Amino acid sequence: MNPTASCQPFDLRPSTFGLQDSANEAAAASLDASCRLPLLVLFMSAAAWLVITSGFALIASIKFHSPAFLAGRAWLTYGRVHPAASSAFLYGFCLQSGLAVSLWLLARLGRTKLAQRWLVTLGAMFWNLGVTVGVWGVLAGDRTGFEALELPGYATPMIFVGYLLIGVWGALTFHQRRERRLYVSQWFLFAALFWFPWIYSTAQLLLLTFPVRGVMQSVIAWWYADNLRFVWLWLAGLGAVFYLVPKLTRRDLQNRNLALFAFWIILLFGSWGGIPNSAPVPAWMPALSAVGTVLTTVALLAVGLSVWKTAGPGGPAGARENLPLRFVRFGVLTFLVAGFMRVLGSIPPVSNVTDLTWFGPATDQLDAYGFFAMVNFGAAYWILPHLMGLEFPWPRLVRAHFWLASLGIVLLAAPLAIAGVLEGLKLRSPDNAFMEVVKTTLPCLRVSTVGDLFMALGHVAFLANLAGLAARFYPVRAASLFSSLTLDLYKPAGAKP
Amino acid sequence: MNYGPLLFLAAFFALATSWFGFVLTPQAQIGQLQPANMLGAPTLYPQARPGLARQGLEVYRANGCADCHTQQVRQSGTVCDVVLSDTGTNLPAVITALLKVKPGLSEPAARQWLEALRQPPPPTLDPRPSTLDPRPSSLLLQGLKPAEADAAVKVLNGAGAKAAVSIVPVGPDLARGWGKRRNVARDFIFDYPLALGSQRIGPDLANLSARQPDAGWHLRHLYAPRLEVKGSAMPPYRFLFEKRKIERRPSPDAMVLPRDLAPPPGYEIVPKPEAGALVAYLLSLRADAPLFEAPLTVAPVPGAAGATNAPAAPDLTAANAPAAPGATSTNAAPTNAPAK
Amino acid sequence: MPPETAEPGAGQMPVPVWLMVLFFVLLYAGMVFFDRYSGWFDAQIYMPYASQADVQAFQPRGGGPSAERGRAVYENICGLCHNSDGKGKPSQAPPFVGSDWVTGSPNRMIRIPLSGLSGPVQVNGTEWNLSMPAMGAALPDDDLAGVLTYIRQSWGNKASAVTPEQVKAVRAEIGARSQPWTAEQLKAVP
Repeated sequence: MNPTASCQPFDLRPSTFGLQDSANEAAAASLDASCRLPLLVLFMSAAAWLVITSGFALIASIKFHSPAFLAGRAWLTYGRVHPAASSAFLYGFCLQSGLAVSLWLLARLGRTKLAQRWLVTLGAMFWNLGVTVGVWGVLAGDRTGFEALELPGYATPMIFVGYLLIGVWGALTFHQRRERRLYVSQWFLFAALFWFPWIYSTAQLLLLTFPVRGVMQSVIAWWYADNLRFVWLWLAGLGAVFYLVPKLTRRDLQNRNLALFAFWIILLFGSWGGIPNSAPVPAWMPALSAVGTVLTTVALLAVGLSVWKTAGPGGPAGARENLPLRFVRFGVLTFLVAGFMRVLGSIPPVSNVTDLTWFGPATDQLDAYGFFAMVNFGAAYWILPHLMGLEFPWPRLVRAHFWLASLGIVLLAAPLAIAGVLEGLKLRSPDNAFMEVVKTTLPCLRVSTVGDLFMALGHVAFLANLAGLAARFYPVRAASLFSSLTLDLYKPAGAKP
Repeated sequence: MNYGPLLFLAAFFALATSWFGFVLTPQAQIGQLQPANMLGAPTLYPQARPGLARQGLEVYRANGCADCHTQQVRQSGTVCDVVLSDTGTNLPAVITALLKVKPGLSEPAARQWLEALRQPPPPTLDPRPSTLDPRPSSLLLQGLKPAEADAAVKVLNGAGAKAAVSIVPVGPDLARGWGKRRNVARDFIFDYPLALGSQRIGPDLANLSARQPDAGWHLRHLYAPRLEVKGSAMPPYRFLFEKRKIERRPSPDAMVLPRDLAPPPGYEIVPKPEAGALVAYLLSLRADAPLFEAPLTVAPVPGAAGATNAPAAPDLTAANAPAAPGATSTNAAPTNAPAK
Repeated sequence: MPPETAEPGAGQMPVPVWLMVLFFVLLYAGMVFFDRYSGWFDAQIYMPYASQADVQAFQPRGGGPSAERGRAVYENICGLCHNSDGKGKPSQAPPFVGSDWVTGSPNRMIRIPLSGLSGPVQVNGTEWNLSMPAMGAALPDDDLAGVLTYIRQSWGNKASAVTPEQVKAVRAEIGARSQPWTAEQLKAVP
């Protein structure tokens, strides 16, 4: 990494977290130390779930063009493996990783320690227990049938307790902040902290505990899935983006008002999306949903403009080597693409073709993997070395991960989107037999399986690096602890690392 | 935006508007839907599924059939057709009327058509359309707007014939045979969990029992999809069946399979209760009853209308396509009107 | 590890004007779209229908109402509460037999099933205070005319028939009303 240069803040207030002040550096180090354990647990669990997801997703992907693959066992049938993969991804990886980044950022930007890190770690363990029980239940056939809420009801209490432990103390961290002025990211992350339990409890209550009747189930399921994927993931992801991009390019964010604008638009109008135009519901629901989704265009433009102005052409020298920044830039690019695909897919002339085809999953995957996961990878690759004070054991694996992940998501999403459009266009005419249409999509599905494979390899690289980092860190810690405890046994010639 | 409470309120307000618009209001509107009268019949629709079919819905859910199949038929528009059910007695007046409502028709063609329609139906008790029926289709005009269709019917009725307007939903899904009308909220009030699906890796199933009412086909398709559908992407669901030793006699439920899939001699493949329940559910899938919010004309059972004074129940079998040659008898008008 | 940079600040420039303009343009386009395609929050309008009038226009023509059909619809919809013999059920529904609400002005009678009736109402000298939902809102004009005719001409009631045109006219008059009527409001109808 290049030596730091002093940056010119456009904001007139001086940045108190200065470079040359060793007291501040020490403060930063102790703050980071308070986050270390919970963040390590969250990130490692997230990485492990990601590898599990990739395994299931790969199996599911292969089954499209080889239906007889692993078809003998009930627990490996597509209808169970697919929701296992998506639940493991959303609840195992996305939420944990997003919460990890949120907690660290709230602590960092508030210049305060993470509140009650042992409770937060306990929360992470409850969360993992809940997701494990849930995914097991899905494979056993207890999936709920509601997309994005597939984990069976008996896993909910553990997940909820886990979230409470993490969320309440995260909110307390925010409340106890010493830096009272709020940076942009804190709005997004603090809102996200409340958004998830509200939508999750609504969905759980109205779909599983006191189920609503008929097509209302689908309305609420769509509302929840959309709010999770396109509001919560966007809030958590953009919170990280608005911190990492200026931080890693050593410039100030351009600018606060664009970010505020995007924040409000996503909260107000992004939460309306989700009801597809094909739905068997009265016409006003898809219409209102479409209006809300189209209005998020301005939020997309605001975010794109902001990142481009901050990090844009003429970035700092050596940006190419800054792998976390590469992950985040790729993430923002796919954010824009996925966002525009979502907007297009909600307009009736387009949705008449793309509804109920592969286009929807392509949009969802591009948003979740291409934007959220990539931004979180960049965040993890940047945060963890600073937390541990150590570099990753295999830097080349980090680069390999970047290429595998970016190539993988392109090879996954682009063919699916093309398949969706082709399928939709062909299904418009009854002269095209259904099996012919299915055959047309097969080559695209084969390419997307290759994408799945690349992504799986990238995720394995990620987990390996994280595990290697933890494996390096703890012996070093243990050794220094041992030597500090036994210092008085060894007189002046005692070894001190 | 420097205050935590302000942020909290902002998030709460935004979620509240979304919750109000997409959770509360829809629940108030469609959350308490009850079965309603079908148009043209005193029967209520929908009926709750029988018990085995409800168990089948659980099997459908557990194995994730909704991941590949949808149950939502779409509709892009509605048109009116005009059908001539009775040629009347004043042939010249009717021909004049015909030429008026169908400009492209020539006089000899009109006369020929009327003569052909006036032939008596072939003597049969079978209400289904017969390929031996020499009468042409009674469908006169297609794809009209309601006002145009009503005007045409008025002209034809004035000439002494009996014509009627037939309401026909149109759309790519419907043209493909996946249904007669779009799905609406009332179709699903008895289902939990709802299995609408979001992708068509396999065909839409909303009206499956209308086009595939054979339980044996479904069982074979579940066991080995490529037996019934060439090149199918559906995985075989062998775990819904069990291979067991034949005891004294083979079971009547035993599957009849081709040699490469058949079990070794002395064994038979029998569907498990889950398979039976799933098939019962699939055979209960039907959503083409006419409703106020999704109107369509369903031809009544021919002959039944004239027999009693009861209103003709709409014929929900596959034999009610209005354009099938000779499908509509000349006794009852192909609308929802009961026999007078 | 090299020391970190300072925490990022944020510029204070305003949002570009073109972005705000675009937002309002999209908002306007959204409102136009909603006006055309949504049916304005009506629970009975599904795409591709655009309005109540649209759905009504495509209702199957019944070939006119008939007494038999009227009776069938009555048994299935009204008779459950008002009883098959039109005598009503105590604390459930008032009687039709000999009631001037039935034999009086058709305009008044047609409104009741279209929007419902709640609050105190005098029927044959007895005061009833219940709430009737809009049982006839989902019926096409023919069927509603038929059932009202059946009620007006059965069990000793002798009144004129109700025609589908009258039902249509009343529907147009009351529009998308969802509030149930009260007895006072109905008495004010000619």
